[in-house]
Amino acid sequence: MLLLGDQSQFGERTRPPLRRAWVVGWICFWAAVLNAGAATFSAALDRDTITLGETANLALTCNGGQPQSEPAPPSVPNLQIVYIGPSSQFSVINNQVSSSITYNFRVIPRQAGDYAIPAMTVEVGGQKLTSQPLVLKVVKPQAAPAGVTNAAAQPALVKLALPKKSFYVGESLAAQLQLYLSSQVQSVEQFQTTSFAADGFNVGKMMQGQRRQIQMAGSIYTVIPINVVLTAVKAGSYTLGPMTVSLVLDIASPNRRRDPFFEQFGIRDPFFERSTVQQQVALATESEPVEIQAIPREKAPASFNGAVGNFSMNVTAGPTNLTEGDPITLKVQIAGRGSIDNLTMPDLPWSNFVVHPPEIKSEHSDQLGLQGTKTFEYIVTPQTADLKALPEIAFSFFDPDQKAFRTLTHPPFPLVVHPGGAVAVPSALASAHPRQEAPAPAQDIVPNKQRPGQLAQIGPPLIQRPWFLALQGTPVLALVASVLWRRRADALSNNPKLRRRRQAELAISQGFADLRRLAAENQSDAFFVTVFRVLQERLGERLDVPAGSITEAVIDERLRPLGVPEPTLSAVQELFQACNLARYAPVRSSQELSAFVPKVETTLDQLKQIKA
Amino acid sequence: MKAPFTVILGLLFALAGQALAEAPETIFDTANRLYGEGKFSEATAAYEKILESGHGSAAVYFDLGNAFFKANRIGRAIAAYREAKMLSPRDPDIVANLQFARNQVQGPTLPTTWQDRWFGKLSLNEWTLAVCAAGWSWLLLLTLGQWRPALKPTLRGWAWSLGAVTLLTGACLGADYSRLVVERKAVVIADSAEVHQAPVAESPGLYTLHDGAEVRVLDAKNDWLQITTGPRRTGWVRRAELVLSR
Repeated sequence: MLLLGDQSQFGERTRPPLRRAWVVGWICFWAAVLNAGAATFSAALDRDTITLGETANLALTCNGGQPQSEPAPPSVPNLQIVYIGPSSQFSVINNQVSSSITYNFRVIPRQAGDYAIPAMTVEVGGQKLTSQPLVLKVVKPQAAPAGVTNAAAQPALVKLALPKKSFYVGESLAAQLQLYLSSQVQSVEQFQTTSFAADGFNVGKMMQGQRRQIQMAGSIYTVIPINVVLTAVKAGSYTLGPMTVSLVLDIASPNRRRDPFFEQFGIRDPFFERSTVQQQVALATESEPVEIQAIPREKAPASFNGAVGNFSMNVTAGPTNLTEGDPITLKVQIAGRGSIDNLTMPDLPWSNFVVHPPEIKSEHSDQLGLQGTKTFEYIVTPQTADLKALPEIAFSFFDPDQKAFRTLTHPPFPLVVHPGGAVAVPSALASAHPRQEAPAPAQDIVPNKQRPGQLAQIGPPLIQRPWFLALQGTPVLALVASVLWRRRADALSNNPKLRRRRQAELAISQGFADLRRLAAENQSDAFFVTVFRVLQERLGERLDVPAGSITEAVIDERLRPLGVPEPTLSAVQELFQACNLARYAPVRSSQELSAFVPKVETTLDQLKQIKA
Repeated sequence: MKAPFTVILGLLFALAGQALAEAPETIFDTANRLYGEGKFSEATAAYEKILESGHGSAAVYFDLGNAFFKANRIGRAIAAYREAKMLSPRDPDIVANLQFARNQVQGPTLPTTWQDRWFGKLSLNEWTLAVCAAGWSWLLLLTLGQWRPALKPTLRGWAWSLGAVTLLTGACLGADYSRLVVERKAVVIADSAEVHQAPVAESPGLYTLHDGAEVRVLDAKNDWLQITTGPRRTGWVRRAELVLSR
């Protein structure tokens, strides 16, 4: 969607102070973070020719440093230069940090003519940097395109602009479809090309350019350029166009204006959108007669392979000191303007060399793909040691501007090719055949060691031995065990009831051992004292009272209210009474005491079920 | 009665003599003597005999490398020096001779990377022990902290430091293990080895490797190894023309 509603597209707007502070802070932050290397300062205009009524953008870019102050715009008579604001870029490519700050200005001419914008100077890190001067040509407003007589009646129109009318087969160029929108149009939607009569051409990539405003036939128009790549493919006389497009226009209702209440906060009037009217329109350009000429192939040099444009060539090769059969990497870079994607290198029919098909890489420096670099990387293998050089490399192209063929050549690369059978020899002998690139060191190898050192069994490295890996589990197990132990200790220290239970269990366990021993030794008194003690331990722990406070009265006072089953209560009472009786009754036999132990065990197990 | 005694005595002497002759140290001395006499092929056979017995040391590999080098077998020499460097990575003699041998190699070979230089400062076993030392100390500190919680604040800084050292050395060990064990390397031992596009003799040759060229092995198929010496330098070489190395 081509949205025109954003005010920043149409004119100056005051930036909110907070936002400006943020931008400045951001720039300062990066300026502080980055090391200023070799800083550069350059100036550029987005266009070098404009029509009176249009504006041009002037960008002053500082790479690799932060100027101490914003550059002051130069004073040029009849040219108003207004500062718009800064923009910054920061990139990290292959660990190389780069930054740039661009100060943007709008250039508004007051009358037609040729203007020289002088060089400007900024100070970066104590170093004064100067930009190059620029030239801006301002032409008088042109007449409206045919059919544009009443802007109000025709809110949009299209025009096909061609850089020239005569082409050569194979030549690529960027035509421009210009969409003119009157000031009533707020936005454009659903733009699409419906047809394009382009006999004799291949139609390539389409790319929207930077919109601008022009004055035409007394009205202000916004022009949206759409660049179209055309490649001439067939000689003859043709007519380019018409090109038809369809689009939906949002046209402002004359009854509604933007609310200044919203404008002061820098936001769009939310009710304004509803006050536009949508209108679907179909537009067509006029036809343009064009001529496509054939390339005079009868005059083409041998190295011509169909390239049309304007190119330069750079060739590198290496290594150049090698053994026959060794590969040489030959890199041919063709850079320039033309159909980069269609560029091909002529064959390299070199005798005594094996030339493998090249690896090809294209890089475009513009979005349309009409400028850039194409790299052909060959692997070339010399087959004999007699070769003294890589042959000359030639690349020819037809220059449509000069209307002539041009041939770029690179002189032969000298080679030193050693015989393939040669085997390197120790330095003592190698001095007879010194190598040019890496001469053999003067000394010989370090002599033998006279002691064998510690002769050990050759085995796999430690990390691959199972016993070694298993051994590494020891500290891990120790840590896990200690963590578990620590958790248990912490749990006990934080839970007195659990601690009491464990202590009671331990006391009871020891008590039963004592009971069995006392029964065997027939010590009746001590036996029943122990029975009483284990009973107290169990009941005290279950009822959460001190063990010493447990007496027979606990049955009625604590156990019965808790709902302990009657058989358990009877068993407990029986144990208490047995203990009391033992103090007065005659001594029992060892067998009787031993038979009493299971009864105590059973009763204590039943008491375990009590929940206080 | 005298004759059997003589036979037994002779047999004992023979066995003892054989045992002495077979001792690796003895073979080592013999090999060095052969080397000194300029009999390099015989010397290499003697050094290899020690290694075949299952014994070895950096010195044996080093001297074997020297013998191969003097016999103009650069590839074998480099392979032996590499083994010696694995066992004793900071031995200046080994480093010097390996570099010297590499300087004699013609044509493409694997370049020495910063990983080789950095991780090669310690042997794989040394890296392993470094990780173990740091790791054990770290875990024992943590264990001590569990047994004596009062010491935890004192130990905390040490525990963090040792944990970081363990992780760092562990990463180095991983990288070194990958470099030496996971990545298979090989050295060309033929005078020249044609690198083919495919693992068949009829496939077109891409380029030629020379004795001593070091390559990384990517794949194997029948009697062929797929190797590379760098970007866009991949092809197939006959297995017999290479010796696998660490």
